[in-house]
Amino acid sequence: MLRFILVRLAAALPTLLGMSFVAFAIVALAPGDPVMMELRAMGIVPKPEDIAAIQAEYGLDKPFFARYFDWLGRAVRFEFGTSVATGRTVMAEIMIHLPATLALAISALLGAIVISLTLGSLAAMAGQFAGAGLRGVTVLLVSVPSFWLALLLIYIFVLRLGWARLVGDGSLSDLILPAVTLSLAVGAALGRMVYERIRSEMSEDYVRLAIAKGLGPMQILIGHIAPRIAGPLATAWANAFGGLLGGTVIVESIFGWPGLGQLILEAIAQRDFPVIQAYLVFMGLIFFVTSLIADLAVVLSDPQLRRRYSDE
Amino acid sequence: MKLLTKAARFTVAASLAMPLAFAPAFAETSLTIAVKSDRYSVKSDKFTFTTRRPAAQIAEPAVRPDADFNPSPLLFSDWNYVEGVYTVTLQDGVTFSDGTPWNADTAIASFKQYDKNKSEFLQLDQESFTKLGDHQISFRSEVDSALVIENMTHRGTSLFLPSEDMAENPIGTGPYLLESYEPKQQITVVRNPDYWGEAPNVDRMTFRFIGDDNVRMLALQNGEVDVIGEVTPQMMLSMPKDGSVVLHESRPIRYAALMFNMQGKAPFDIASDVRVRKALAHAIDRATLAQVLWDGRGKPAKTILPGWMFNMGDDHAEGFSYDLSHANALLDEAGWTMGADGVREKDGRKLALRMVSAYPNVSTVKPMPEMLDQMFAAIGVDIENIEIEDSGVYYDNYFKTGEADIYLEYASNNNTDPTYLLYNVFTTMSPWGYAVTSPGGNVDELAAASRVAKSRDEVIELVRQAYRAVIDEHVSTIPVLTVPNFVLSRPGIDVKMSEYADWIEYGHTTFTN
Repeated sequence: MLRFILVRLAAALPTLLGMSFVAFAIVALAPGDPVMMELRAMGIVPKPEDIAAIQAEYGLDKPFFARYFDWLGRAVRFEFGTSVATGRTVMAEIMIHLPATLALAISALLGAIVISLTLGSLAAMAGQFAGAGLRGVTVLLVSVPSFWLALLLIYIFVLRLGWARLVGDGSLSDLILPAVTLSLAVGAALGRMVYERIRSEMSEDYVRLAIAKGLGPMQILIGHIAPRIAGPLATAWANAFGGLLGGTVIVESIFGWPGLGQLILEAIAQRDFPVIQAYLVFMGLIFFVTSLIADLAVVLSDPQLRRRYSDE
Repeated sequence: MKLLTKAARFTVAASLAMPLAFAPAFAETSLTIAVKSDRYSVKSDKFTFTTRRPAAQIAEPAVRPDADFNPSPLLFSDWNYVEGVYTVTLQDGVTFSDGTPWNADTAIASFKQYDKNKSEFLQLDQESFTKLGDHQISFRSEVDSALVIENMTHRGTSLFLPSEDMAENPIGTGPYLLESYEPKQQITVVRNPDYWGEAPNVDRMTFRFIGDDNVRMLALQNGEVDVIGEVTPQMMLSMPKDGSVVLHESRPIRYAALMFNMQGKAPFDIASDVRVRKALAHAIDRATLAQVLWDGRGKPAKTILPGWMFNMGDDHAEGFSYDLSHANALLDEAGWTMGADGVREKDGRKLALRMVSAYPNVSTVKPMPEMLDQMFAAIGVDIENIEIEDSGVYYDNYFKTGEADIYLEYASNNNTDPTYLLYNVFTTMSPWGYAVTSPGGNVDELAAASRVAKSRDEVIELVRQAYRAVIDEHVSTIPVLTVPNFVLSRPGIDVKMSEYADWIEYGHTTFTN
C-alpha cells in the first residue's frame, strides 16, 4: 500500500510542477500592471523611481523565468509572499477564508450525498413512472445554474418566507442556503451515478440469487449492492469535494459567505497576483489530494485490489 | 401599615420600571452600511486601514474640504505659505483616542509616522518639521509644492499616533473607535465618547462588504442593511419606486466623458480630424442620457468640473449642444459622405470608430455605451463598442497601446487641488499615461503654469482656461454628463451627503422615524 501511495505521489510531481507553472504564468502574463493600479488607487502620482521601487519589491523587475523559479522555491515552503491589496501574508489571507469554504464544501458534500443516495436509489427501485419522474427532477437540478438556483432560494426563503438572512456573518445558520444551493446540483449529478450503478448491479447474478432466496429489495440494496458500489461512489464523492472547494465562488459571492471565493474575486479585481497564484496552487493541490483519497478509497473497498497492493 | 406596604410595593415597582422609562432616551443608534469591497491594507509602508472609505472615521487629516472644495480647518486651525514654508497653527483641545493631546510634538510625530509609510502623496520634507510653539509648527514641501494643504484634504493623509499595533488598534483623533474588523466581511466602529469635535448621532456603525450589486440592493430591501454606498446606474434602474428605498444625492461631482485618441495611428486616426470630434460631440443627446442613466439625476455636461467646484462657474467652457444637422454638416465638410448602408465613407474607408468603455469599469456607466452607439449611428458613424469590467485589461490592451479611437471614462476631481485632475488626466505630462488623449500645446502650458501660480485665484483661472482649451478649442475630450454621489437607504434615514465620497459622514445620519 505504501508503494502505491509513493508511486501516486511520484506520478503527481510533473502534474504539480506543470500546474504551478500555469498558475504563475496565467497571472504574470495577464494584462494589467498591479503597480500602477495600486498607485492610482492610492491617489499617488507616481515618479519613475516609485514605480521601480515597487516593481523591485514584488520582483517584477526580473525576467519571467527567474521570477518563476524564485516563486517556486518559496511556494514549495508555502511562502507565497504578501498580498498586494491587504498587506497580510498570502497564507494568512488563505487561513482567514479557508475555514468558511471548508465548512461550506463539507456541508454541501454531506447534503449532496444524502440527496444523491435518496434520489438515485428511489429512482432505481421505483416503478416506471415514478422512476422517470425522479430522473426528470435529477436532470432539471443538474441543468439549473447555481447562481439562478441561489436567487430562487433567496426569493423563496429570504424575501418571501423570511426564514433566513441574505448576508450572514459566517454563522452556522447562514450556511444552510449556500450549502443547499451547492448540494442540490452536485447531489443530482451524483444521484444519476447512484441510479446507474444500482441499475447495473441489479442485472448481476448475485442479485438474482438474492431475489431467488426471497430477500426484500431494501435488504438486497443495503446488504448486497451497497458494498459493491461504495468504492466508485467514494471516488465520485472525493472528486465532488474537490469540485465544491473550487466551485463555491459564485455562491459565496451571492450569499456573502466569507470564504476563498470572496478572496479570489477581490484578488482578481485588484490584480493581487500573489493571492491569485497561491489560490490556483491550492486548488490544484486540493484536487490532487482528493483524487488520491478517492484512489485509496477504491483500493480499500475492493478486496481484489486490496490483496494485490498488500502483496506488493 | 397597609399604606406603608402599598408605598413599598409602589417604590419597588417604580424602581423596576425606571429602566424601561428611560430606555428610549438611551437606546443605542446603529447603522449598517453595505459597501462593495474591503480595500484596506495593513502593510506598514502602504497603510490604508481605516483611512479610506468606508470606515474613514477613526483618524482625521489636518484639513477638510469645505462646500466649494477649498481646504478648511480640522486638525489645523490656521495656516499660511510664504516663500516655500508652511506655518500652521494646530487646533486646540484635541486629543487622540488614548487621551494623548494633539500638539506640536504629537503632530510632528504623526506626520513622520505618515512618511514612514513611504507615501509620496504629500511630498513633505521630513527634515523641515520645526516646533514653533505648543500648537504651532512649520514644514516645507520636498518639491516646493504650494498645494500641500489642498492635498491634506485627502482622507488617505489621516494622522495616527505612532504605535506598534496600528493595524489592530489605530489611535486617531476621529469621532469613532475601532470595535472589530473581519477582513472581507465587516468592520464595526463605535462612537468615541471623548471626541473633541461635534459628536456624531450614530453610536455604532457596521460596514458590510457585499461585492454583488444585486445582493446589496436585496439586502437593503430585506432590512439587513440600512444604507448602500457605491450605487451603479443599473441599481438605480432596478430601484423600487414605491418609497421602500430612498435615494440621497450630493451635487454633481463625477463626469462621464469621451476622450479621443489624439495620437492615433491608422486605423485609429479618423478622429484626428477635429471636425469628426466636433460632429460626435454635437450628436450626443445628453438630456436623454441624463434621463435614462442614474434615474434622471445626472446633468448634461458642458465641461469636466462642475461650476460650483472652486467657484469655477458653469460657463467656463461652452460645451456642445445636441444638433444633428450641425453634426452632419461637419462630417460632410470633412469629406465623409453617407453610404448606402447608413455608414459614412471617404476614399473607400468607412467611418468606423472603436469606443472602449472601461474606466473604472463598464458597469458604472451602462447602458451609456449602447446609447452612444445609437446616437452616433444616427449621423453615419459605425461604432465598435468594447465594454470591459477590468481596468487593467483596459490600460494594457487599449489605452497604453492606443488601440481605440474613443475612451469613455467616468471619474472625478476627488481633490481640493484644482490642478490635480487637469495635470494628471489632461496633459501630455500625465504620470498615469493620459498623454494618448491629451492635446498638449497650450493645455500643457496652462497646466504647468497653474502648478506654480502664486495665488489660489490665479491657479483657478489658469485651470479654467485649460479646461476651456481642452473642450472648446481642441475637442480632445467631450463632456457628456456630470453625476452626483448617490447613496440608497431604507426610509426614515437622512444621510449627510458629500460630493467627496470619502467625506460622506454616515455618523451624522439622522433618523426621522
